[in-house]
Amino acid sequence: MLHLLKIDLKKMTSYRTFWVICGLYFFTLAFVTASGMEFLKWLASFIEGFGQEININRIPLYHFPDVWQNLVFISGFFKVVLAIMVVISITNEYQYRTLRQNVIDGLSRWEFLQSKIFTNILLSLMSVAMVFIIGLVTGFIYSPEIEWNYVFTDLEFFPAYFLEIFAFLSYALMLGILVQRSGLTIILLLLSRMIEFIILLLLRQSGVDIYDLKNFFPMQSIGNLVSIPFPRYAFQEIQDYVALAAVLIALTWAFLFNYFSYLKLKRADI
Amino acid sequence: METVLSTDKLTKNFGRLCAVNRLDLEVQRGQVFGMLGPNGSGKTTTLGMLMGVTIPTSGSFTWFGERATHITRKKIGAVLEHPIFYPYLSGQKNLELNATIKGADFSNIGKVLELVELHERKHDKYKTYSLGMKQRLAIASALVSDPIILILDEPTNGLDPMGIAQIREIIKRIAESGKTIILASHLLDEVQKVCTHFAILRKGNLVHSGPVDEVGKGEETVEVVAYHDDLSHILHEFRGSLSVKQDNGKFLVRMRDDFHSVDLNKFLFEKGITASHLVTQKKSLEKQFLEILQETQG
Repeated sequence: MLHLLKIDLKKMTSYRTFWVICGLYFFTLAFVTASGMEFLKWLASFIEGFGQEININRIPLYHFPDVWQNLVFISGFFKVVLAIMVVISITNEYQYRTLRQNVIDGLSRWEFLQSKIFTNILLSLMSVAMVFIIGLVTGFIYSPEIEWNYVFTDLEFFPAYFLEIFAFLSYALMLGILVQRSGLTIILLLLSRMIEFIILLLLRQSGVDIYDLKNFFPMQSIGNLVSIPFPRYAFQEIQDYVALAAVLIALTWAFLFNYFSYLKLKRADI
Repeated sequence: METVLSTDKLTKNFGRLCAVNRLDLEVQRGQVFGMLGPNGSGKTTTLGMLMGVTIPTSGSFTWFGERATHITRKKIGAVLEHPIFYPYLSGQKNLELNATIKGADFSNIGKVLELVELHERKHDKYKTYSLGMKQRLAIASALVSDPIILILDEPTNGLDPMGIAQIREIIKRIAESGKTIILASHLLDEVQKVCTHFAILRKGNLVHSGPVDEVGKGEETVEVVAYHDDLSHILHEFRGSLSVKQDNGKFLVRMRDDFHSVDLNKFLFEKGITASHLVTQKKSLEKQFLEILQETQG
């Protein structure tokens, strides 16, 4: 396993695009997730009454345990950047035909796919670690008092976040293997949510009840892992836990994405 | 002798096109095996199947007497069609990647770069290399795991005469080290110069296979020039002549089997004629290749 990961990392670590994209990803992720309070202050500066009627310092954006779901939810929006990196990595292998040479050199097709999957796992784990550290630091800064049982509450959002990213990167990898051209793959990737939405609307128009069905669709199921937390600050009910059903559906999709990649790779002339 | 490669009715169809048709080949250890054929005759498709990138429609093959897996491929160094590398990596880094995949020691990299005379440019990015350097790096990558077999597909394609000579020199050096080489080419001259055995493919069919030494055996053609008014007539009288043609002031005598220039010389001498020019035409692979292709036409 480490051997295969090493092969893929060897390809990436001398590739400038990889460092630029990963650098931008981690920089913007860190910056945005850490500057929530500054964002609120900025809102207060021009929305009349915002700063006066609601004291922004009393919005517990970064208080333990709220901080975990808040940060994980926001971080979820950045996964598309990593996914584009994954698309570039796999479509390069087709464009340069290096997939072919890798196999000629003695890598099995399954090993090749594994090397990509392991990189996806690594990128997902690094995102988790990043958000965890930012959450920990900002939580300690902004929480008025530290209660350790609150610090360690709601940590299940991290496995859910990991799954969210890994499933999406698996999807990007599969799309890259099926389409093989980077531009088209990236466009499809960006429009996936929209296309899924259109399909659901069409289904609804033809009389299908999509209320439960939509949760089985891939993009929706990935989105279902971590629910939006912010309405709680407007005294609305939110889902402040990870639903087991959502995990099972997303897990199934993650498995299927990689399995479809495997099927395609196994049968193709490369 | 040990058989390293054996194919059994290996077939590949692309839709309705049959690229390789029931191919039976055998390559023995130590041979330098040339695969000849015009463009599109199925050479690369065959090698692609042998290296696991093209999936055969039917038939099978064995490497070293075993069914091939990715493990067997690690023992083979191969470059198909044209060099394939990561353009943004240096020559050195590309070879490190090849070596990691093959499980080979990095210490070989310096040696093979030396062999193909690329060590001075090894830290430059692959995309800055000239075509000749790319081809040479490809040979280096095939050699990096010190493989038992080397497969080269059109290794001199698109090179200038100096580049061709360089690659040919490298191949000869490798052949002398006792490695088995499979060399696909449409350049007959190249195959004749370096190969011990060869096979000819045409539209996916194997039309000939045998040692290169045997090329030129069989019937001979002898060029004769002598000062005699009725030479044509006399040459026709010779028991060993199959046909006589006049060409550019020379007579070309196609000989029956078991007759050679010596016999013709003796015959002429007995007739009181001294030849001023008597040469046995060596049948080139090119000529035989074209003959075989013509025989199998239609």
